[in-house]
Amino acid sequence: MTRKIRIESLGVRLPEKVVTTEELMASCRRRPRLDLERITGIVTRRVAVDEYAGDLAVGAARRALAMSRYAPEELDAIVCTSISKHNRPDEFTFEPATAVLVRRAVGAKKALVFDVVNACAGLLNGIWVLQGLIRSGAIRCGMVVSGEQNMPLARTAAREVRHSLDGQLAALTLGDCGAAVIVDASPDEAVGFHWLDLVSGARHDHYCWSKPSSRGSGGILVTKARGLQIEGNRNFPAYLKQALDATGWDWSDVHHVIPHQVSTRAIRQGIRAISRYMGCDLPDVFLSHAETFGNTTTASHALALHDFILRGTIRSGQNVLLVSGASGIVISHATFTFDDLPDRYRAHVNGAPA
Amino acid sequence: MRRARIESLGVSPPRRGLLRWGALKHTVEAGKRCLAASKYRPADVRVLVNAGVHRDGHVCEPAIACYVQHALDINVDFHGRRTLSFDLLNGNVGMLSAAHVVSAQMLAGEVAVGMVVAGEANSDRRPDAESTIPASGAAMLLDLSPTSGTGFGAFAFDTREERADLYTSVVSLKEPHGKLLIRRRAELEEAWLEGAAAAATEAFERDGLTPADVDLVVPAQVSPAFLSRLPAVLGVPREKVADFTATLPDTLTTSFVLALDRARSEGALAPGRRALLLAFGSGVTVGAATYRF
Repeated sequence: MTRKIRIESLGVRLPEKVVTTEELMASCRRRPRLDLERITGIVTRRVAVDEYAGDLAVGAARRALAMSRYAPEELDAIVCTSISKHNRPDEFTFEPATAVLVRRAVGAKKALVFDVVNACAGLLNGIWVLQGLIRSGAIRCGMVVSGEQNMPLARTAAREVRHSLDGQLAALTLGDCGAAVIVDASPDEAVGFHWLDLVSGARHDHYCWSKPSSRGSGGILVTKARGLQIEGNRNFPAYLKQALDATGWDWSDVHHVIPHQVSTRAIRQGIRAISRYMGCDLPDVFLSHAETFGNTTTASHALALHDFILRGTIRSGQNVLLVSGASGIVISHATFTFDDLPDRYRAHVNGAPA
Repeated sequence: MRRARIESLGVSPPRRGLLRWGALKHTVEAGKRCLAASKYRPADVRVLVNAGVHRDGHVCEPAIACYVQHALDINVDFHGRRTLSFDLLNGNVGMLSAAHVVSAQMLAGEVAVGMVVAGEANSDRRPDAESTIPASGAAMLLDLSPTSGTGFGAFAFDTREERADLYTSVVSLKEPHGKLLIRRRAELEEAWLEGAAAAATEAFERDGLTPADVDLVVPAQVSPAFLSRLPAVLGVPREKVADFTATLPDTLTTSFVLALDRARSEGALAPGRRALLLAFGSGVTVGAATYRF
């Protein structure tokens, strides 16, 4: 065994119902004049029907366990990183931790359970927490799981948005998804996470927040998108370069970069920021599917892995750089080399009943 | 073997007076006191974990830890020295879970200094009658103990998920600003006592101890009646259980840290003494940790 950890299994619960940006905009009481689809590049997203955040997390956890070599009772920890803890209509659950509900549903009888919440950086933050527990010898393997049911925020936004500069517009870019990864110690030094780093620039904690609405029922997500992007793009390229340098990679070693799927426009702006910082043109390695699934917050990276593995874009043995920006502002980067997970995942999903 | 230890403690106990303090203000006050008593500077804190469950305005994003980091002026800018802040939610066991996570990062060599904070308050203008919380804050600064054998020993958590419905707290979003609804059922304390026995036994076994080796049990101050039943469950004499319930209400997440601070002020934490820390939360989860001062 090495000090490195790897993603041993992956599971995604993607709702079937598709809702277009046009449908969401049309549902606004006062429809803003701006063309959100053109500005964000997001055309569709998936929406959970008769399912809540906890159900999406449980669905993803079951799928990850179905492919894993670990049985539920062998899991030493379950960390749930959901932001949206909507487990009933018009209700936000603080207790018990969502991880407890996942443990109960999958039968992980001995798993340590707690939630880690760090906005959209949750998944990488959860992996970082498990990395420490595994390296210290406290646990052998664990699951990071997230169930994001963001549509309640979008519904409030549709009711409350008043103009084209309204802070709640970003809530209309969200999508629903559940995602889970099982991590353990990598048996091979060449595969797994080479670098996993998160940093909080708390001076910028005022650009995005979510809480109950003051104007009526429901929760709201308020984002000062321009400020968030400017500060993020000003600061993250240096950490990205540090991640590459610390791993010993240059751009020729990177097969794919998976940015947090905020919007296709935000991803393009991020690429330009890196290019400016590094003073070079970047290879065409940035993966984006925000146009199809929208911003699924903490499930974003795992959903991208699921989607691009199934498309055959990500293959076994390839090097991937994960980039995340979250409200706080939290900047996170991870460099990762796959073992045979993409091959196993394709075989499992294509062979398994839908 | 080196262990993580509590290098410094800071608390902001429930206050009297007309002005109500929110959870964030209590958390920051506890954090300031903790840092003031520490040999470390704020910039040394590499990871900051907030374990408070109930937050001002029921904010769920960003991590409340970011607001605390900002208020304590801990590496708030990018570049230079760095801090990672995040929230860890595990009911009233959160501070013990966070100490476990930070301790693991230290033993793994990832982090040298970490801070665990929490604050609890019900910020509703008209709080639900069953959901009032004595507002408080607590903070612990953790580092690796310079002497072998002192600090946190074993952590153990007993979760009885089949009884998760015994303790729930939700924010109803049906009305403007939301409304906190905490619900505890009568059987909860029985479940906690069963969990305490299991968690304490596991912690003792992992640390190679017996109940007789423990000089002091520092539990969350649930109620006098509940604490009076702990000695029989844990197999320790009654006088070893720190009971400050006469002057210290149950402050949820922060409770065992407030009790630890009170025990320290009474001189009960002399070097060499062994303690068992206990927290009781939703889940239903009981957290136990052995500690040598």
